[in-house]
Amino acid sequence: MATVQICEAEKVYIMHGVRDDLRIDGRACDDYRHMEVETDVVSNTDGSARVKMGDTDILVGIKAEMGRPRPLIPDEGYLEFFVDCSANATPEFEGRGGEELGSEISSTLYKMFQNRSSLDLRALCIVPREHCWVLYVDVLLLQCDGNLLDATSIAVKAALFSTRIPKVHVSEDDEGGKELEISDDPYDCMRLQVEDVPCIVTLSKIGHRHVVDATLQEAACSMASLIIAVTHKGNVTCVRKVGGGSLDPESIFEMTETGKRVGKALHAPLMKLLQEEEVLGKRRQKVGFLG
Amino acid sequence: MPVDTRRVRAPEESQCPLLFVPLLPRGPLRTVAQPEKARVDGRQRSQVDVRPVFARCGLVTQAKGSAYMEAGKTKVLCAVYGPRESERKDDTDMKAGRLVCDFRYAPFSCPKRGTWIQGSEERDAAQALQEALRPGLCLHRYPRAQVEVNVLVLEHDGSVLAHAVTCASMALVDAGVEMYDLVLGCALRQDGDSYLLDPTLAEESGGHATQPEDNQGGVTVALLPSLGQVSGLHADGELRDESVSAAVRACMEGCHRLYPVVRRALVYAARRKAAPPGDSLET
Amino acid sequence: MSLLKLCVPGDRLCGAEDCIPGTGTYLRHGYIFASLAGYVLRKNEGEELPIISVVKETEAQLLPDVGAIVTCKVTSINPRFAKVHVLYVGSTPLKDNFRGTIRKEDVRATEKDKVEMYKSFRPGDIVLAKVISLGDVQSNYLLTTAENELGVVVAHNEAGIQMIPISWCEMQCPHTHVKEFRKVAPVQSEYLQA
Repeated sequence: MATVQICEAEKVYIMHGVRDDLRIDGRACDDYRHMEVETDVVSNTDGSARVKMGDTDILVGIKAEMGRPRPLIPDEGYLEFFVDCSANATPEFEGRGGEELGSEISSTLYKMFQNRSSLDLRALCIVPREHCWVLYVDVLLLQCDGNLLDATSIAVKAALFSTRIPKVHVSEDDEGGKELEISDDPYDCMRLQVEDVPCIVTLSKIGHRHVVDATLQEAACSMASLIIAVTHKGNVTCVRKVGGGSLDPESIFEMTETGKRVGKALHAPLMKLLQEEEVLGKRRQKVGFLG
Repeated sequence: MPVDTRRVRAPEESQCPLLFVPLLPRGPLRTVAQPEKARVDGRQRSQVDVRPVFARCGLVTQAKGSAYMEAGKTKVLCAVYGPRESERKDDTDMKAGRLVCDFRYAPFSCPKRGTWIQGSEERDAAQALQEALRPGLCLHRYPRAQVEVNVLVLEHDGSVLAHAVTCASMALVDAGVEMYDLVLGCALRQDGDSYLLDPTLAEESGGHATQPEDNQGGVTVALLPSLGQVSGLHADGELRDESVSAAVRACMEGCHRLYPVVRRALVYAARRKAAPPGDSLET
Repeated sequence: MSLLKLCVPGDRLCGAEDCIPGTGTYLRHGYIFASLAGYVLRKNEGEELPIISVVKETEAQLLPDVGAIVTCKVTSINPRFAKVHVLYVGSTPLKDNFRGTIRKEDVRATEKDKVEMYKSFRPGDIVLAKVISLGDVQSNYLLTTAENELGVVVAHNEAGIQMIPISWCEMQCPHTHVKEFRKVAPVQSEYLQA
């Protein structure tokens, strides 16, 4: 895990600050850090995005491949998530070090999309029972500075927004066999509806209050956090308690309330930003990695 | 390889046809005409109505402590080993012990046969179990040591994680591992405006075959009953905000229903293991 | 006897001002709670508050702790340290193996620089030692025998015959009268049953 060790005095300092709604970097308890989102950063993918939140930097690439639908849900395509914790981010991730964290993040992503409304998976189906699109969502952690889950979910949403899947024309021949023809016009493509894709808000309990978007130092002061995936309508698609501590019921209710409020407020500017960037098209200024 | 064109070759992969038979009669869990219909097993909707529970301690003689629990048809077995010397030494915190959890479904426990290799669902469950149990344990009393919890699901009929948490905490008590409190688990299935507490497998997975409906999802809560703290919370599906809070409250109530049963089983096990200490100790 | 109460972890036993928390209990917000399942015992010692504890059929889970006297068996030696397995803590046998290390400088209290490991321990010896540290990430429990009462209590020679201590640094075979060097501990009567 990417963690830092801090001494008791620092912990007390952070906790007192949080009590007075003033965090070490000057934010209030439910403020996010400065965020940068950029889409279409990798040319070989069907959709990609890079999100920088404080010093956390995440790159997501989506590749669409043809596959068979799952037998139990024949009329839907599906998503596959892979999270790679690169040793660039921290030497602890070297070898198999990052595997645990990676599988934790990817399982949360699976859970987040495991419902009907997050993403219309039926749009990914080409021929029921036979062909569908499989979206391979690869997440790369370039830099870790806390709050990986929130940044990852935003990056996934942005990457799904920018995903363009070529249209497929199905024609039937005389014997009833099906022929697939993939359009080679780069503008003849399908876009995904990402309105309802949820974003994760991580709330860390520090002292008697909770903060969103905890830095590594703040995360070290927190015994327990709550992960909440919220859609733009305010529906909750996933809740997890993580960390070694327990929470009292009242604070759980408070935290879900904050999570919902913060999460809802996160969606509108994100969508606006993505659309604005889209309109700019080729004229936009590219920032590039780690920029 | 020459292909025999006269024969129809079998597909490479096959699926058991039973999988496609819906567990519940077709249609949504709740019919529009009778929104408050009772559940299939006669329990009430939107009521804190848990299945009857059977719990026993100390069945695995080899283990330091063990417990077996049945709730309806869900059957869970748990064994606890340790505290023993920690295998992994790279942990940053050497002052406290480690809790290692293993969670497995027996291959025959689910409608579809599983494999012996631990799947990602089981790994997630093990992780959730570990996080639910840890706040209840006095791990600082076991420096450099690790406590191992092994959960085996013998029969899966819904609410497995919740019952695994309860069963594991009983096994930990049976093993004499010091704990701040018991850890009790309870699950809930939200179905529209009503909820089903302690759902069966059919109730848990039902509704997927039906129309997409608002406010569907599952919630699992782990509670430290005496301290009144929630040590684990898992929610999936799509829930409205207010139903998350309501679901957590209902699950906590469900945990409190379990408490006397679990307590009685533990007291019974403690009494059976040892006669009361002699008068000499008492003054 | 029926007066003896059984409790489970998390049960509130009494207020902190009524009793002193003993084994199997913990203190929280001014109350004493049970941390084990078992019988609740109150024991009066002198005029002080009674000690409240929870007892189980088996002795509480003992782990080697700093300052504890442990009985261990030497598994291997090299010029710098001896590796041991901890068998007992005090007089309680351990169910699982715990490994420990006795470093050369911890063998005896004086003339530390003149210690030779091969003249202090041999594999197979039963040694009384004291835990000085739980060790860090790389090392195991660190033990010491730098006290008069600590050191080898049982040792066999190459023929497998148990030797008799003749001084604090020598043991002798009763058959062949061959002497071997050890860091010998005079067996204390209180540990004889262990």
